[in-house]
Amino acid sequence: MSIPSPDSQNRSPSRGIDPRGPRFGAGITAVLLLIALVLSLSGGTVAAFILLAVIAALFAWGAFAGVQRHPYGLLFKVLLRQRLAPPTELEDPAPPTFAQGVGFVVVVLGLVLHLLGVPYALGVAAALAFVAAFLNAVFGYCIGCQLYLLVARVGWTRRGARV
Amino acid sequence: MRTLEHTMNLLMAIASAVALVAVTTVLGLVVRARTGRLRRVRADTVVAHELSGAAVLGSRATLLQFSTEFCAPCRTTHGLLQRQASARDGVVHLDVDLTHRPELARRFNILQTPTTFVLDGAGMIRARIGGAPRPTELASALDELIGESRVDTIAR
Repeated sequence: MSIPSPDSQNRSPSRGIDPRGPRFGAGITAVLLLIALVLSLSGGTVAAFILLAVIAALFAWGAFAGVQRHPYGLLFKVLLRQRLAPPTELEDPAPPTFAQGVGFVVVVLGLVLHLLGVPYALGVAAALAFVAAFLNAVFGYCIGCQLYLLVARVGWTRRGARV
Repeated sequence: MRTLEHTMNLLMAIASAVALVAVTTVLGLVVRARTGRLRRVRADTVVAHELSGAAVLGSRATLLQFSTEFCAPCRTTHGLLQRQASARDGVVHLDVDLTHRPELARRFNILQTPTTFVLDGAGMIRARIGGAPRPTELASALDELIGESRVDTIAR
């Protein structure tokens, strides 16, 4: 449960993924989100809505099926993995999978708020998701993963207080 | 006229997108410059049993790591801290999963994982690192701290 793992205990190293896979996927997502942003700002609202709906579906794929089964992951395997040196370290698929869920929530919120008539909802959602995807792709920094701690602090603190 | 207006809109939209890319790049550079930096503090004292019943602090120093389940750099940090601790006598590495201990995140004001505290032999927090630690910076701070405790022992 809440026992800090002693030195000897390892984090499950066996089932890992190439950390460059999720970053490659985040790069594609960032480009699509930027296109959606331009469309939403230049009067192409319907096109922006459709593109964001597609992006939301792709996020859902990663979040619910896991990043290992995501089409971008397969694309990475087919196109890039053989051409790159083998990864120096493998990564747990849980963090990027969680981050896909965060992306899904942000984009779906944008779509729903747009349907409710909130102005700039599509553009703001696209911009927020773009920042997260770009930082992940270019800098390897996972904002979505960091949000988990903040959610845990708020959500579980209440539950903890009751116990 | 209509085409001109449309072109202007498109140009404005593209300019906004370029500005967003620029701002995000700056943000990324700032994050990269700050992450893993060791900050010297003289803060709270950590008592082993508040972490868990089984935890024992190192006699000379403790590397106290805070992680969550959804944290990619926590795993590499775990390996780094483990190596740094096992290379030195009296230094212990502890890894606490905040998923089950949100009250610790509030108590120590932890906003990101991994966060690492360097504790001295008495359990006082002497340094704090947000993000994956920089190996050489951590090693020299740790050696400095251990050297201090060695001088203490000799003086006694």
